[in-house]
Amino acid sequence: MNLKRMTALFKRELTDILRDKKTLIMMLVVPIIIYPLLIVGITLLMSSIMSSQAEKTYLIAFENDTDLEKQIGDIIEDNEEKIGYKLEIVKEKNCQESLENGTIDAFVRVGENDKVLLCYLSAKDRSSTAVSALNDAFELYREELIKEKIEDAGLDAEVMLNPIHYEQEDYSTTEESIGNLIGSMMPFLIVTVILLGAIYPAIDVTAGEKERGTLETLLTLPITNFEMIMSKFLAVSCIACVSAILNVFSMGGAMAFLVSSSLSSAANMNIEIHYETFIPGIIFTIVVMMFFALLVTAVCMCTCVFAKNFKEANNYVTPVMLIFMFGSYAAMIPDLELTAQTAAIPIVNVALLVEGLFQFHYNYGLFAIVLFSNVAYSLLAIMILGKIYNSESVLFSEGLSSVKLFTRRSEMKEKQMPGFGDVVLLLCIVLLLIFYVGTFAQLKFGFFGVAVQQLIILLCPLVYAWYMKADKKHLFSIQIIKPLQLAGSVMIGIAAFVGALILGTLLMPVFPESAKGLTQLDDMVVNQPVYLLILVVAIMPAIGEELLFRGFVMGTLKKRCRPVVAIVVTTLIFAAYHMSLIKMFTIGIVGLGLTLVTYKTGSIAASMCVHFLNNLLSVLITKYPTQIQRELPVLFKDRLSVSDILLLVAVVLICAAVGWMLIGGKKNNKINFD
Amino acid sequence: MIIVDDLCKEFERTVMSKEDEAQTKRLAKSHKKGKLKQKKESFYAVNHVSFQVPQGEILGILGPNGAGKTTLLRMLGALMQPTCGSVAIEDENGNRITDPVQYKKSIGYLSGNTKLYHRMSTREMLYMLAQIYEIDQQTADERIENIAKVLDMHSFMDNRIEKLSTGQTQRASIARCLIHEPDIYIFDEPTLGLDILSADAIVNFMKSQKEAGKTVLYSTHYLEEAQFLCDRVIMIYQGKIVKEGSPEAIMEECGVGNLRDAFHHVMEEVETL
Repeated sequence: MNLKRMTALFKRELTDILRDKKTLIMMLVVPIIIYPLLIVGITLLMSSIMSSQAEKTYLIAFENDTDLEKQIGDIIEDNEEKIGYKLEIVKEKNCQESLENGTIDAFVRVGENDKVLLCYLSAKDRSSTAVSALNDAFELYREELIKEKIEDAGLDAEVMLNPIHYEQEDYSTTEESIGNLIGSMMPFLIVTVILLGAIYPAIDVTAGEKERGTLETLLTLPITNFEMIMSKFLAVSCIACVSAILNVFSMGGAMAFLVSSSLSSAANMNIEIHYETFIPGIIFTIVVMMFFALLVTAVCMCTCVFAKNFKEANNYVTPVMLIFMFGSYAAMIPDLELTAQTAAIPIVNVALLVEGLFQFHYNYGLFAIVLFSNVAYSLLAIMILGKIYNSESVLFSEGLSSVKLFTRRSEMKEKQMPGFGDVVLLLCIVLLLIFYVGTFAQLKFGFFGVAVQQLIILLCPLVYAWYMKADKKHLFSIQIIKPLQLAGSVMIGIAAFVGALILGTLLMPVFPESAKGLTQLDDMVVNQPVYLLILVVAIMPAIGEELLFRGFVMGTLKKRCRPVVAIVVTTLIFAAYHMSLIKMFTIGIVGLGLTLVTYKTGSIAASMCVHFLNNLLSVLITKYPTQIQRELPVLFKDRLSVSDILLLVAVVLICAAVGWMLIGGKKNNKINFD
Repeated sequence: MIIVDDLCKEFERTVMSKEDEAQTKRLAKSHKKGKLKQKKESFYAVNHVSFQVPQGEILGILGPNGAGKTTLLRMLGALMQPTCGSVAIEDENGNRITDPVQYKKSIGYLSGNTKLYHRMSTREMLYMLAQIYEIDQQTADERIENIAKVLDMHSFMDNRIEKLSTGQTQRASIARCLIHEPDIYIFDEPTLGLDILSADAIVNFMKSQKEAGKTVLYSTHYLEEAQFLCDRVIMIYQGKIVKEGSPEAIMEECGVGNLRDAFHHVMEEVETL
């Protein structure tokens, strides 16, 4: 990838999109002018209609000459404030006819057994308003009659009517109530505005480009496919993001204006809203929106690229839009909450997260999962986009049917090495399988579900390597290891473990859980027999995770980039894969140790052994805490003194140095970095 | 020099299967309705084509519609991946360039399908291209100034391309191919649908480039133009080269006085085979 070319392409795409009237209208005119105008305008209109309705006089008639007319007349006169509308009693000969003509708005008919009917026309708004006001008047009259009757019986009307006094008291702060309201509406709003911001540019850079005939021009330029896709993707995501943020701020501003103006008009209600309490929520929401915009953009582009022109793309993208909007309704489902499971469902996770943010629920672990999963889904979509953009039949508009997204196995070359794309694809597949199959298995089978998860991690890289006919020995660094090298690996493993321990302790003030995260296992596994624990927690991850990370990922990277890059990237992916912000740093250090071991020895067997020992220690600590505490008290300390830390740092340095020497120098390094 | 070695491109097309043909006849006789199965069949749009074009030569590619001219030129421009075979450029030092990015830097490709970005001005487009071709700012300034002078584009350099006339757009298109000063030009029916003045401008442009030692490969249906312009022509039919040589040699071989008659002669010959 050439950064200069990418920048030039990105600028071109951005200029092109920004000079398109449709996008400009969607991005600027709608949020800056239309929304505030609509929201403020409609509210002002509604309130003026309401007040004009209140000022109108509604005409009422009584069909039969009864005493009722005078009584109700008095009530209306005395309680005009309570009823809220002006009612006037008029005389009419034929009440029903007058009602139908519109000369009166409602009338009262007294039927058999003094049954009173309030007659009106539900099809006419005026009549409906009049009858509800009349109803209020009758309600007041009824209360008055009850009071009179009770007093006639010689009782205290107050006590009889209200034998118990109760009121509601709301302990939620005003901010919480407002947050709850905003939280349920916000996700839908966000999804809609991001879609609106993304769709037109996405169509423009894909189908629009084909329609204008500039795609072939683009293909004549000296750029790689990846640069072309990424520049388009980034430009559209940028636009989607900016327009979404503009939209949200303009709507939020209009809403805030309305709320504060209505509050200031009701001056006797002394409510003060601390808008600043929403700032963290808003900031997190903007971060989530950025990540979500990536996903929306990638999906929209994937859909639109199949279309030959703007119109066709519009048709293709409509179902996608509906699916996204449907997903955002999740926030309105009462009992659905953001959990480790729902955090992996696309769209729904964003909806639930945003809802939670405005209700002041900040769960950083889940926040990380939502972001990670959004990135994973976007990467998957970009990968597919890359495949589609490679397909000449799509580019040169020869139809949809002959798209070969993936090469058939029979057409694969023997002994090939995977590329970056394969790594991304494999990681996404594993991630999705763990989320859906693994989580399901864990819910259904409990502890054995954990084994299923480990099996997924173990099988995916193997199956992928088999399918693409990879050079397995090379890819997975399968090599026999000498005893001395193994000893050295274990030393490096110890250094990494102790290093992680120190870091965990140092991070305690920031993440109180971080130190325990290194050795503590889930509650679910504690009660299992020890041999099962060793199998599922120590042996299976040692094989599976090593095959995936130190095998497939590192094996690919070391072929295609410098050793430092391969080691750092593998470690970062390994740390990120554990889906926990808290454990990320400590696991990262252990991961670095494992990666270095594989790099130095050139054999995955070494890191498998070290990984096994590391996890075995967790099992032992969980099963035999007292014995371990006696032998290794340092693992159980909540806080380490400075002298302890210095001692441990010395241990790290010595172990690392000894291990490094035992494994040996360059001549023993069997990995071929060519 | 551009070297084309055993180039093939395989496509799929939908055809009726043999059983279906029989089925269709039976159905036609019995006046019944039935479902017909179609199947995909692959065919070679370009079928094992090899040739070389040295620097300073204009090569014309002739052939009827659907012969595979555009597909061949797309592969020569590295817009399409060949199914088999290879295309390479050999520079003065004898090094072969096959890496698509490097390869495209030596090629100026122009066809009816390479439209320009309507929402940019010619000047903006040329600057953008200069960045993509990694030409430094000063050189880019000089080249753009020079191109504007040569193609007489000063009057509309800063107008958006959507506002330009057909002739002006065509000149802007040529400017697009010139900015990186390629060694090889690939033009797919460049004069198609142009008025006489614009077409002549393009013909003159190709001639001037040949004189400057550049290679030009171009496809056309205008045989008089090809006869006048080309050092060598290849005629292709159903993806295969059926005739290759200088226009004069081909005319002599066919015993006719112009390239048009020679073309008819060759096509009749291959169709009877």
